[in-house]
Amino acid sequence: MTRIFAVAQNELMGLLRSKFFIVGLLVVPVLVGGVMTFMAYASSRVDREDRRFAVVDDTGVVYPAIEAAATRHNEEAGEGLTRDGPHFLPERVGTDKTRSNDPTPGLSDRVRHGEIFAFVVIPADVLDSTTGEPIKYYSANTSYTRLSSWLSTNIGAEIQRRRLTNAGVDPALVARLTKRVDVSPYGLVERRADGTTTSARAVDEIERFGIPIFFLVLMFMSVMSNAQHLINTIIEEKMSKISEVLLGSITAFELLAGKLLGVVAVSLLLAVVYLAGGIYTLFNVGRPDLIDLGLVGWFLVFLVSASLLYGSLFQALSSACSDLKDAQSMLQPAMMALMMAYFASMMVIRAPDSAFATTLSFIPPLTPFAMLLRLTMPPGPPIWQALLSVAILVAATVAVIWAAGRIFRVGLLMQGKPPNLPELLRWIGK
Amino acid sequence: MPTPAIDIRHVSKLFDSHRAVDDLSLIVPDGAIYGFIGPNGSGKTTTLRMILNIIAPDRGSIDVLGEPASAATRDAIGYLPEERGLYKKMQVRRLLRYYGRLKGRTVAELDPVISRWLERLQLSEWADKRVDQLSKGMAQKVQFVAAMVARPRLLILDEPFSGLDPVNAEALRAAVLDLRREGTTIVFSTHDMATAEKMCDRILMIFKGRKVLDGSLAEIQAEYGHDTIRVAVSGGLSALSGLAELESVIDHGNYQDVRVTGSPNALLQQLVLRAEVRHFEIMRPSLADIFVRIAGPSATIDGAA
Repeated sequence: MTRIFAVAQNELMGLLRSKFFIVGLLVVPVLVGGVMTFMAYASSRVDREDRRFAVVDDTGVVYPAIEAAATRHNEEAGEGLTRDGPHFLPERVGTDKTRSNDPTPGLSDRVRHGEIFAFVVIPADVLDSTTGEPIKYYSANTSYTRLSSWLSTNIGAEIQRRRLTNAGVDPALVARLTKRVDVSPYGLVERRADGTTTSARAVDEIERFGIPIFFLVLMFMSVMSNAQHLINTIIEEKMSKISEVLLGSITAFELLAGKLLGVVAVSLLLAVVYLAGGIYTLFNVGRPDLIDLGLVGWFLVFLVSASLLYGSLFQALSSACSDLKDAQSMLQPAMMALMMAYFASMMVIRAPDSAFATTLSFIPPLTPFAMLLRLTMPPGPPIWQALLSVAILVAATVAVIWAAGRIFRVGLLMQGKPPNLPELLRWIGK
Repeated sequence: MPTPAIDIRHVSKLFDSHRAVDDLSLIVPDGAIYGFIGPNGSGKTTTLRMILNIIAPDRGSIDVLGEPASAATRDAIGYLPEERGLYKKMQVRRLLRYYGRLKGRTVAELDPVISRWLERLQLSEWADKRVDQLSKGMAQKVQFVAAMVARPRLLILDEPFSGLDPVNAEALRAAVLDLRREGTTIVFSTHDMATAEKMCDRILMIFKGRKVLDGSLAEIQAEYGHDTIRVAVSGGLSALSGLAELESVIDHGNYQDVRVTGSPNALLQQLVLRAEVRHFEIMRPSLADIFVRIAGPSATIDGAA
């Protein structure tokens, strides 16, 4: 056992010093945080131009509303360095209903010369909901939709208000009566032992999606963070005949077990760091009620199993190859299985209690992801399902480790062309 | 009779249809230096791996230090593979500790041994450097220390001196001889026949998986007789053409090594009649000669043995 620990310690130290772990632990969150911060920063600064536009208002009544809305908008966007959006600067043209010439060619030229960014033509009969000719928006930059959307909202609101007034209906009354009604999700009311009840708890987006996705991504990242390191070390050991030296001291199974222990230790370390970060964040955002230590326990059980299952699979397949290129092709199916587990689990989020989700959560390579997700989503599966899935997963993991040990024993000493599937199966039976 | 360090009895190993080792029996006496020679692919490495218990024989049995080859006997064996066997990115001392711990030793037991060997092989100042910063010769010496750290009773070295400059080769040779004096049994495979002749108490030659030579150098040379005659005659190689009972001639320019099917005297009589004989010497065959005779292009197992 001390030798297995020696291997595990060596793997752990190797992994902690490897760039993959450093990338996984530090660079990824820094990168993700950095990208999100940059996106937030950039989104408020990417569009700060003045958007001058002309309005041909054939109704003669809509323009003042546009002007007022633009003033409000510009005030909200702010000024100077804190300004976080464009200023819309309308200009009224061709307002008389008797105009004989079409103003659009001239306005188009003004757009081309850069005097204005766009122009909008509001037809006279737009207030009549039965004839309704459309309002036309003209611009050289058709991919820029912020101004057209803004115009659509504000002109639409003004026209609707005027139509209601013309029909003798109070727009304020309509707004009050057509106010959107939301359905807020709640958990169940709990009954205490003394017969009293607790009030139901409101469920928000963090609980519904944030927590499950956090666990799913953490599981995936922890399992994936080991893969490349395992491939590299096993190929190095084979190519440099280190594996011969190692097998001259310990059995192939002890070597495999030691490496697996190292992998599990790294996964746990990575997970603990992120879990601590997650708990700290929940405290900071005032949601410590979402911290569920039982769930953390389930996560750790599934994480250890997934690390062992995928770790032994990666090791067995790597050991059968003689160079990095072969190993990367050989590992593609295992990587695909992992990716499939990840993406299939994304579907579980939509209906965690469906027959589809339940089935997925009992298929061993998918269990750590699918069952974990189901557990994170209230009310969660029946406890017997969770326990049964763990039992199946443990049995499958033991079987995979056993088979991996058999492949590992033969593969480590094998040189040349990597084996095909029948050969691998023969190695297991040897 | 004392317990031999290695006792191999009728061992065979097949890889698919290829018979890598075929009915090999061998006794390596305790405290001896035993040389394994043979062409590439003859079964030397397979034999070494079976002694190390890395692979198991299909037939026969192997005892190491009086016990069947097993996980326990592995701890008493130090192994140096050919050329490589080191983690490139690892520091020398950390690597040596790791290899020692795999043999069941503690860091406290290992550190004094590591320091002593690094000092002896003039590697002390490299102890905290990474392996990929070492020269090839230094890395070879580190490998040797790695094989030694757990104080093995049996040391298996695969081509230990290949690629070393004469100074480093001599340092390792001296270390090997010191270990033998301290009672360590040493088995090494080599393609360097001169080193095998100089260092080995006994020599095993494997060819196509079978043992074709086993004994001391003197025994082997006696077995292969004194049938090589070195001659220098006027006219050189041309003076030898058409001689009766001539089996083979190797021309070295100034002299020729000749093998005959008849007696050396009969050859001498023929030569003096046709040329001036300046040199005539009945020679003991070198290990290299015997090797080529057994494993040369025209060799067969039956002819070799």
